[in-house]
Amino acid sequence: MSENLPYSRQEMMAIATGRELHDGELAIFGVGLSMLAGYFAQACHAPNIRAMTEGGVYGATPVGGLPWGIECNRISANATSFTNAIDAIGFLVASGRCDVGIIGAAQVDKFGNVNTTGIWEGEIGDRYRLPKTRLTGAGGANDIACGAGRVVIMVTHEAKRFADKVSYISSPGYLEGGNARERYGFVGKGPSAIITTLGILRPDPVSKEFILEAYYAFSSVEEILANTGWDLKVSPSVHVVPEPTAEELAALRRVDQTGALRKA
Amino acid sequence: MPSNKLLPLAEAVRRYTWDGMQYASGAALPVGSDAIAFGRELVRQKRRDLHAIFHCNTQQLNLLAGAGAVSKAECGFSGLEVFGFANGLRRAVESGQLALEDYSNLAMAVRLLGGAMNWPFVPATVNIGSDIQDRSAFAPDEYPAKHKIPTVTDPFSGREIGAFSPLKPDLAAIHVSLADPLGNAIMLGTEWSRFELSRAARKVILIADAIVDTDCMRQFPNLVRIPDIIVEAVVYHPFAAWPQSSPGLYDVDEAHMKLMNKALATEQGTADYVRDFVDSYGDIDGYLDLIGRDNIARLSDSATSFLLDPFRQWIKTPEEIAALTAEVAA
Repeated sequence: MSENLPYSRQEMMAIATGRELHDGELAIFGVGLSMLAGYFAQACHAPNIRAMTEGGVYGATPVGGLPWGIECNRISANATSFTNAIDAIGFLVASGRCDVGIIGAAQVDKFGNVNTTGIWEGEIGDRYRLPKTRLTGAGGANDIACGAGRVVIMVTHEAKRFADKVSYISSPGYLEGGNARERYGFVGKGPSAIITTLGILRPDPVSKEFILEAYYAFSSVEEILANTGWDLKVSPSVHVVPEPTAEELAALRRVDQTGALRKA
Repeated sequence: MPSNKLLPLAEAVRRYTWDGMQYASGAALPVGSDAIAFGRELVRQKRRDLHAIFHCNTQQLNLLAGAGAVSKAECGFSGLEVFGFANGLRRAVESGQLALEDYSNLAMAVRLLGGAMNWPFVPATVNIGSDIQDRSAFAPDEYPAKHKIPTVTDPFSGREIGAFSPLKPDLAAIHVSLADPLGNAIMLGTEWSRFELSRAARKVILIADAIVDTDCMRQFPNLVRIPDIIVEAVVYHPFAAWPQSSPGLYDVDEAHMKLMNKALATEQGTADYVRDFVDSYGDIDGYLDLIGRDNIARLSDSATSFLLDPFRQWIKTPEEIAALTAEVAA
């Protein structure tokens, strides 16, 4: 377990996510953890990443800690262009120009479908009814899930969040698996990884079901299986994710200046 | 021909709003520019049964929903970014008092574009294939929903695609950083979808943090994305987006964002909040006293205040604005 580690589980998740981004890519991040992962990548190994937000903030390096939102002063202080939503999530994402997006999830299923809309008791059934707990809705995540070249999903690894089937698809992954996305003509290829507080899952190339590919120094295959709500398959080449280097941790904490993620 | 369109906030709300109307916010963001002061005034004047069109939820919709002023809402994101779930909106949805129709952020922007262009529908490349298409809070018995994002045939490829309904709200109250008395506006920071909203709405009222001379607009015409020809009225209201931020002018008020959202979680908390932070001031000075003069100085010392520098020379004083407002009333 992680008690004696010099980094938190959320920091490990953010670093593992940031490692998915490559220099020079056009990348879009939402607020909170996904923004931290994205700007960590820029601060660490991908200095020429072309970062943008849904609101149309381009070229920013956040100041004063993790931004409060996609338009706050912490992210607006260094921007080189301000445009708007249609430009960012339309002209640049829905058009297919954006290489990669990072989104969060309240619930995710074995085909990488994400629920951020609500939690219902049991199946919703054949009419819309009130959720037991109303969540934030899709925001721009649906648009990123449909349009970004690839999508990385970040989520806290708990059985209740890893459902065989999510109760509401807010943002499509591979829907029912296989080639189901093709029916809708999405320009994006779908989620390339689910990165959690315990490990990394990637889709089977044919069935598109997510399988366990890697775990962290502080987690194990057994712990991950026990915290996944479906019969998770384990890759024959399952392995340990390299721990954060001193350089990576320093870069991450330059972005998370106020330490929002160290307490987790 | 009036020389300016300046109106006091209370008068603008009296003149341009009614119970049951379709009301759109500044199409703004949960932590960014939004005409929250206008929403406070809607609560003060006890407007009811609003159909809210908000690109994203903001503290304004959170307040309006928590106070029971909204019966239907359409939005793309219903949280408060890093400030978490919007408790007032959430309480209204979970209790069934408010029907919240879900879309994504791009969907809301292109639906406003469709309204602005007077298109019959907008092709949907997002929201299809998800439960956003299949489930409708406005038509709960339809599954999959037939009239929310119906399927149409692309006349060119023959392929089946989704169609969004365009939006044409009765009124948009749009927050801007700077407006002149005629209704030309400059937004510092991102527009989100204020540009499309200003063209989609049947009527537009600007809520401006600062009023500038029209010479300012002549100096920066490329930045005037909302021109006077589509604007009904201009309301001067410093800190109009508080506790949210207005790039160039003030930062998000972290403590009040939390206090406000916590209060809206319960009926009693909402009643107390309305008493203390909505009904408690009589004029702009009283409103600024409520925010706190020290707090205002702190929030104004923002990392983005350099964005305002090119425009400062044209900013009018409260006395000049009062004189211009009196001219309209006369």
